[in-house]
Amino acid sequence: MVPNLLKKFKYSSIDKCITNSSSYANQDISDIAVFYQLQMSNFPCFICNSPFFVLHKPSSRRKDRSSTGQGKLRKRNELSSPQNTKKQEGSVNEECDHHLFKPLQIEAFNSVWSRIESTIKDVLRDLNSSAFKDIQLWILECFNAARLHGEPNITEATRSFPILSNATPGQLSTALVITRNIEFVDDILTFEELGHFLKSHGCHVAKLSSVDFSMKNGIAGCLKALLREFPLGEIDSADISILASWYREQDNNNKPLVLIISDLERCCGSVLTEFVLMLSEWVVKLPVILIIGVATTVDALRNALPSRALQCLCSSKFMIGTPDERMDTIVEAVLVKHSTTFNIGHKVALFLRNYFINQDGTLTSFIRALKLACLLHFSMEPVSLIHGLMLAEDQKDWISALSPEILLKYMDEFPSYDRSQIANQAGKSIAQGLSDLMTEKRLWSTAVLCLCEAGKYSKVRLLDLFCEVLNPDLYPHRDSVCHIRNEKDQGLSSTNGHSQQYSSVQTGGLIRQIVRKVRDLPTGALGQLIKSWEKLTADISEIHDKLKTFQSSVRCEDRRSPRKSSKDISKRYGSKASLDTDNESTMLNLQAVAFIDCLVRNYMRPIECMPFHEISCFKNVEKLQVVLIGDPRRRIQADLLDSHKILSCGCCNKTGNALLPSRQDSSILYSLAQEHGDLINLHDWFQSFRTILHQTNKRKPKSKQSPQPKKRKDTAGSGDQNEASIQARFCRAVTEMQITGLLRMPSKRRPDFVQRVAFGL
Amino acid sequence: MNMDEIMDEEEEEFEFSRNYFLAKEHGSSSAKKSTNKLTDINLVDEQELREASLHIQPKHEKEIACLMDSYKNMYPEWVLALRSGFSLLMYGFGSKKVLLEDFASTALTEYSVVVINGYLQTINLKQVLITLAELLHGQVKAKRKASSRDLPKSQQPSISQSIEDLLTFLDEAEIEEDGYVICVIIHNIDGPGLRDFETQQYLARLAACTHICIVASIDHVNAPLYWDKNMAHTQFNWCWYHVPTFAPYKVEGMFYPLILAHGGANQNVKTATIVLQSLTPNAQSVFKVLAEHQLSHPEEGDDLYSVCRERFLVSSQVTLNSHLTEFKDHELVKIKRDSDGQDCLHIPLAAEALQKVLLEIS
Repeated sequence: MVPNLLKKFKYSSIDKCITNSSSYANQDISDIAVFYQLQMSNFPCFICNSPFFVLHKPSSRRKDRSSTGQGKLRKRNELSSPQNTKKQEGSVNEECDHHLFKPLQIEAFNSVWSRIESTIKDVLRDLNSSAFKDIQLWILECFNAARLHGEPNITEATRSFPILSNATPGQLSTALVITRNIEFVDDILTFEELGHFLKSHGCHVAKLSSVDFSMKNGIAGCLKALLREFPLGEIDSADISILASWYREQDNNNKPLVLIISDLERCCGSVLTEFVLMLSEWVVKLPVILIIGVATTVDALRNALPSRALQCLCSSKFMIGTPDERMDTIVEAVLVKHSTTFNIGHKVALFLRNYFINQDGTLTSFIRALKLACLLHFSMEPVSLIHGLMLAEDQKDWISALSPEILLKYMDEFPSYDRSQIANQAGKSIAQGLSDLMTEKRLWSTAVLCLCEAGKYSKVRLLDLFCEVLNPDLYPHRDSVCHIRNEKDQGLSSTNGHSQQYSSVQTGGLIRQIVRKVRDLPTGALGQLIKSWEKLTADISEIHDKLKTFQSSVRCEDRRSPRKSSKDISKRYGSKASLDTDNESTMLNLQAVAFIDCLVRNYMRPIECMPFHEISCFKNVEKLQVVLIGDPRRRIQADLLDSHKILSCGCCNKTGNALLPSRQDSSILYSLAQEHGDLINLHDWFQSFRTILHQTNKRKPKSKQSPQPKKRKDTAGSGDQNEASIQARFCRAVTEMQITGLLRMPSKRRPDFVQRVAFGL
Repeated sequence: MNMDEIMDEEEEEFEFSRNYFLAKEHGSSSAKKSTNKLTDINLVDEQELREASLHIQPKHEKEIACLMDSYKNMYPEWVLALRSGFSLLMYGFGSKKVLLEDFASTALTEYSVVVINGYLQTINLKQVLITLAELLHGQVKAKRKASSRDLPKSQQPSISQSIEDLLTFLDEAEIEEDGYVICVIIHNIDGPGLRDFETQQYLARLAACTHICIVASIDHVNAPLYWDKNMAHTQFNWCWYHVPTFAPYKVEGMFYPLILAHGGANQNVKTATIVLQSLTPNAQSVFKVLAEHQLSHPEEGDDLYSVCRERFLVSSQVTLNSHLTEFKDHELVKIKRDSDGQDCLHIPLAAEALQKVLLEIS
């Protein structure tokens, strides 16, 4: 019978793919037999067995935007079977409430994120613009030089083979763009921008990546990818001459032909060599200008290509900004300058910073994390919609969706709202509160920018400073930076808890570090700093006036009646000041310090301490972390070990962490596996599994106290059955663990052992 | 960074490596101690085992249903993430097939939904792409009919198109209403049929297409290793959701052999018999000669060719070798080196099992 089965299934369409599988061809005969039997038992289940299928097509109602909710409701009811319609009704209504907000949430998110995204793009473009311009000029030079060298005449150009003569050495102009970035993912965007930039400046641009230079596809794959970049129509064979003749026809040859290879280090060296040699042969007919992205150093090119290929390249070097520079510019533009658009709380900022510095190091991930934070903010915080309202151009929809009653209801739940009430602002209307928030944020961002400008002299990175100024724990104790400094000088900080906390972010605290540096800054640098402050505060009259006041107080000769704050400071630094008696530059330094002090005290209230900040500030770091970085290795193991907690069932939680037979089988088995070393003896493992399961069989008769002969006979009769079921449960649990990849199966060498793969959570 | 955090992280890493070495140490010592064999367990007949595995009583059905229900509250959040250009990646212990399909049929009714069963052994990705392109093409056509405008005809997706063309179509197809998306649900994107790098790259490129959004599930703890940063952060752009369901891996585990059925003596007899019965009578007889010899002289080798020739089973060494190759391919016979250092043929079955096989085929 079995051979017949074999025949039958060999030709069944569903199994075709599996019988072809090479992995099974090499398997034990037993596996194959097992497999066919399995197939037989599961044959009717088409949906499970078919590699893919269309679950459903879109509901016809979707076009009608206004009735989205109803349409969905109807569709859902159609889908649900009559039996469970009733049961679902409640949840459907509930969902409808959610759906009411959904389009608005999406709109709000889109409006906010598109602003941030375009800001990021602009910032990166500006950052790269000088390098891009240099590259473009260089391309023009190369192009003109190639033209001067002499264009091939018609007969030469229409020949089907390359022109090579001793006079033309066949060198390819090559720009090596040093990205100084180990992770290529950030450079993808940079080179895309470069491509757009060059296209807009009249170049033909083709982009290839390391994927096109793979050993598997060889030079043909790489040529195909190259030809696909140009509008050549249908191509039968990959031949460079097609491109050459395209370039010669019409007016295509008036523009330089630029080829960007974005990641040199990841390309297959031999394919790249072949490609370079081929291009150099064709260089007269097809004067390609190469731009190669190099992540490490120029040496990378020497390592990747042999000398005969290197000879064909005439290379120039260009540098673009480091990830750190780019990061600071983005933080400045998005989180500080545009702080009215979207903010993050201190913990979120700290998490993003640590993630960037310690784990990922790519700007792409940082931007992605920011986007996710923004999305989570709109999906979790109902009041975030107000933010959308403030930014949206057409406010009608929003106003109708968010009635004042709903708003008030949410507002009442704000912790910061209460705080503001305490601060005697109860009488203020919401609108007033919001407008105050905007003003305060604007002042805040100017203050941070001023501080950052001063921080440049002590090489403080904006990202670090940003984290520090957001810290709400430090705020109450940051009344005066100078004051803290003074205490520290007097050795009081060792007993002061807040000071310790303050210094925990960075040794000495960044703001203090900046203050110290500004105090000792030479006059020239200080002058520059003050000028840049003037520029930064130009639009914010409140801070600008303060700056002017400080400046004028220095100029004022009458030192007997200085402003209170400067008097304070001259007192505090009395000892220092006495050393440089009546030194005007020291006075200026002190005034600068006083200005910083004033900024920190008056304008740098962390966003989390501002009333109504919840509208635009995302603080839920745990949620962000979970959604951003999955941790399957740890979490899947934890699922197995703590299944009873996740399922929150009454039966398994009784005796703490003791293994009860009522637990999930795989959970029992994995907990037992923890007692073994890296190798688990299958026999022992099975026996302990059986022992755990038998605990019920022993307990049950005792509790029932009815060991009637008839029943006993039954249990004895089902002994074999029990054994089979225990073995089957063991098998199932092992299979499940195999699927999760926590076990390596017995090998031929060790037929009685499985191997553990994960150790510890 | 906070010093405490640094300490915590270091401690964590140290803990991890310590665990590994402890386990290694423990393993090497206990491996010496425990020499128990799987065969010592009184294994039930495979048929019975299989039967029993079909009727395993599920545990905590109510709690599992509650857990699944609790994830329904997250549907709006998931939809929002999908619509904002993220893909969803579900992980956690338990089969997520039902959850994902329920999510699709309740919350994604606005989209076409295509399901890929990644747990199967082989999946033809090109076929999937053609189906997706056909769905999109159909939508484009319907749209044009509705707006009754003449637009340049785009090519009907077909088998002759390359994967590249299909992906380009899915990315660039002109649809005025940019909201039109096809959602692809991939059960076990870490499954055996999708595990190679090339497939993962195509999937990543698919995920990056304008008109596609992806909801996938993983079960393997090391699944993230399939993706480099570009794939994970830019193309797939995953949002991770931890959704343990504890639902049994019924379909996902379908293709895994049962561990206790695998090595049993009965099973070997059965499978050896199946293979032998499908061979020619002569081949069977050659096997018999070999088996009888192994039973009577367990420690000695002999000249198989001359014996077989005497019994008119084979006419030449070539014929014998072809039989032997067949045996070796099916692991009926193995080459063992005897005490003199000579290669010997050996049937990897216990004497008892071998006798049973002989009985079965004669």
